[in-house]
Amino acid sequence: MDDRLDLPQGTLDLLILKAVSLTPMHGWAISERIHQVSRAVVQIPQGSLYPALHRLERRGWIRAEWGASDNNRKAKFYELTRAGRKQLDAESDAWARLTKAVALVLDMG
Amino acid sequence: MFDELWSDLRYRARALLRRDNIERELADELRFHLERETEKYERMGLPRADAERRARLAFGGVERAKEASRDGRGTLLIESTLQDLRYAWRGLRSRPAFTAGVVLTLGLGIGANAAMFGIVDRLLFRPPAYLRDASTTHRIYLSWTESGGQTRTEHNTEFARFLDFKRWTHDFSSIAAFQTRTVAVGEASDARERPVTVASANYFDFFDARPVLGRFFTADEDSVPVGKPVVVLGYAFWQTEFGGRSDVLGKTIRVDRGLGTIIGVAPDGFTGLSDQGVPAMYMPITAYAWGLRGRDYSKNYNWGWLELVARRKPAVSLIDANADLNSAYRRSFVAEWDLNGRKVDLAATKPRAFLGPVQLGRGPQAGQDAKVVVWVGGVALIVLLVACANVANLLLSRAVKRRREIALRLALGVSRGRLIRQLLTESLVLAALGGIVGVAAAQWGGAALRVLFLPDQPAGVITDARTLGVALIATFAAAVLTGIAPALIGSRSDLARSLTGASRDAGAVRSRTRTALLVFQAALSVVLLVGAGLFVRSLQNVRAMRLGYDVGPVSIVSMNLRGTKLSAAEATLLGNRMVDAARAVPGVSLVSPVASVPFWSNEGRALYVQGIDSIQKLGRFILQAGSPDYFRAAGTRILRGRGIEASDAQNAPRVMVIGDGMAKLIWPGQDPIGKCIRVSADTAPCTTVVGVAEEMRVRTLADAREHTYYLPMAQYNDTPEALLVRVAGDAADYSGTIRRALQPLLPGAAYVNVQPLRELVDPRMRGWQFGATMFLAFGGLALALAAVGLYSVIAYGVAQRQKELGVRIALGASRGSVVRLVVRGGVRIVVVGIGIGAVISLWAGHWVEALLFNESPRDPVVYATVAAALIVVAMIATALPAFGASRVDPNTALRAE
Repeated sequence: MDDRLDLPQGTLDLLILKAVSLTPMHGWAISERIHQVSRAVVQIPQGSLYPALHRLERRGWIRAEWGASDNNRKAKFYELTRAGRKQLDAESDAWARLTKAVALVLDMG
Repeated sequence: MFDELWSDLRYRARALLRRDNIERELADELRFHLERETEKYERMGLPRADAERRARLAFGGVERAKEASRDGRGTLLIESTLQDLRYAWRGLRSRPAFTAGVVLTLGLGIGANAAMFGIVDRLLFRPPAYLRDASTTHRIYLSWTESGGQTRTEHNTEFARFLDFKRWTHDFSSIAAFQTRTVAVGEASDARERPVTVASANYFDFFDARPVLGRFFTADEDSVPVGKPVVVLGYAFWQTEFGGRSDVLGKTIRVDRGLGTIIGVAPDGFTGLSDQGVPAMYMPITAYAWGLRGRDYSKNYNWGWLELVARRKPAVSLIDANADLNSAYRRSFVAEWDLNGRKVDLAATKPRAFLGPVQLGRGPQAGQDAKVVVWVGGVALIVLLVACANVANLLLSRAVKRRREIALRLALGVSRGRLIRQLLTESLVLAALGGIVGVAAAQWGGAALRVLFLPDQPAGVITDARTLGVALIATFAAAVLTGIAPALIGSRSDLARSLTGASRDAGAVRSRTRTALLVFQAALSVVLLVGAGLFVRSLQNVRAMRLGYDVGPVSIVSMNLRGTKLSAAEATLLGNRMVDAARAVPGVSLVSPVASVPFWSNEGRALYVQGIDSIQKLGRFILQAGSPDYFRAAGTRILRGRGIEASDAQNAPRVMVIGDGMAKLIWPGQDPIGKCIRVSADTAPCTTVVGVAEEMRVRTLADAREHTYYLPMAQYNDTPEALLVRVAGDAADYSGTIRRALQPLLPGAAYVNVQPLRELVDPRMRGWQFGATMFLAFGGLALALAAVGLYSVIAYGVAQRQKELGVRIALGASRGSVVRLVVRGGVRIVVVGIGIGAVISLWAGHWVEALLFNESPRDPVVYATVAAALIVVAMIATALPAFGASRVDPNTALRAE
């Protein structure tokens, strides 16, 4: 539990975009997927997940559609739009450069 | 980028329009999430109930997430505002009495301000209608030092001076002369006196006005010294007298002594710069002046009757323009003295010309009315403050009652900011309703105010865009002022104590705030009532003042010959026949021709008394002449000696009756009877003083330097100005009868004008009348509001203290002592307020001193009366709830919780 990290400002959006970039997903699945893939390091504060989803939808980066979940229940699925993909590319790029730069600085001396 | 914006907009619009759908979807989505989460924990082996709890814990507050999601949708502000509005509306509808009280209170406050602003705006701020580029348009004022040493400022000047200014200034693109005069318009007995503006042709260039018909007059028609008799009708006059017909062009109309040809009609609402009523028509200044004088008036400096307006060239600064104007004026002064052969002494006379506001009310000669109006405007603001304090108090007490509700909402996770916004929304709704009531009140009350303050202004709606803007500002101010304290204090609820009901008197902050508001209200009421008292006393003083003549039963009859030439003998004959005819009118008791008429026209001649170097320096001496009936007709009392008698004929020894003030001034401590005064020249034969009479107030109500003396009409050697007619009863009732009896005597187009003296005197008292009326009305309003506020606070306090009072009664306190306890609390608040209010009034008093009449701004009678009134009102307002408290049944009170 204690090895969980707080998400830096703005990374939540990036993670969500990445998560839905592979396949349309509903909110719970997004949070589970990120949790698993990050080896339980990243725990999305669930209270902020849905506001973030709505914000991204408003910006036109993801699109929502009601569909049937794996156990045949109605769920809201989010998928990446074309604008969202561009955004994802730009943001991942920026993130990679930032982490590299931060690493360089931390390695000095 | 564009896509993003579009998507954003579409999303928000959908979110707003399909709110219910989206809310449902959100709920579904979150429920689905929680179910999955629960299942996850169940799979991990937890029992169903634990799993659910765990899931909810992991999620955090569902409501909070919903709220944040709404925020994410970007429509939260609008949605929550709509929600707040609905909530506020429901809340207000469920308490109609409370709502009505608050709306009415705010409505009166806002309405008072909107209406007063309408007046102040028209009097002081707003440039005259149609005026082009008001920032470079100025009125020309002149000032100089008189031989007595006083500085005099005037806005009227001579035609020659007007020409000098045009000739000798360089910084002005245009200088125009104008004047509005009361002139007889129409034929013979149909003639009526109407305001007519006479102006130079370039006057119209100052306005963006186009004639609705025909044209304005041109420089050709305004040639010096003889202009063409053409007239441009005022719109209202055209409507009422000509039915707005377009065939009036080319027709002639009799104006004063001549016939004017109608060449155009001014647009609706155009009054030029006239502050003396809506002009019936406009005509070239040169045509009017020539018609009146019949000789060249343009070269001498002895007929100062014109007002000047100037437009500064855009590139010239105000300072430079003033300097330019001033040097032209000094040059003109020298020219005048050269012409008259007098020695020029610029150093002693200090002639100065300067640019000032076009509106006289803002200039150096602002009338008392304008000053009083500004004060009353301030008073209206105070009334609004009192109203706001009252409403804030009511809302506070409501906030207290709603404490549990508010605590509950806080507990449910409503944020404090959201709550404050909600409470503010409520006061905004209240203020908005108040604003609507206020505008209605302003519309209705504004008409009455306009009659009081702006009798000469064209009628029009008082609630125009500017006034509505002010009402809107007042409304927002009221909303914030009334809402902010209750909202802040209300939302500072102590959760646990409120919910458990243990906070019977957790309201220390609240009650301190409420007490402060009450003190504030009481203090402001004191200020207003003191103002009212001072003005009422001034009005009483003015009314009670002896003017030296009776006003009610006296009329002034003047005739306008309109150019009909009469020989001296004919004029005397006509005068005598007029007197006889007037005397024959039933109800008329006495008639006398007069040389001076109060507040209309006055005569003066140089006086010489042996042993006194210059009498003129002692004061201003006004000549009145009358027949032997004069003193009885005017109601002027003879104090010593005799009045004018029939024996004081043209060739009899010259006599005069002097005013008592004049007697004391010239011969202090001596008997003036039998003394000699020479009139007009120091070589003239003695005029012997035969009596002392009251002095008349002729030019001003209160100038101690103004004195009067009376000559027999037979020895006056000049034509009388008018007839003074005394009737039995009210002079106004006889105007028509007198006019009909005298009109047939007049030759040609000449006509008779009958004016009750009251109409000349009353406008001089108007300032105090306004002051007294408005301060009383607003002061009374403020007092009533303060009383209601006090009542509600005390009543609330009593309700809160029911248990304590019950205990006191149970322990044997008498009901009387309970009443005293409660009343004492309320009165103490008011006494503090009186103290503060009195200090403010004393401090502010010297500002109004100049507006009062024979009244000290520290008049103890006024202060004592106001203090007593406030205490009585406070006792009544507190006694009502106090008696209620004294009837508390200890059993009920103690069992209440």
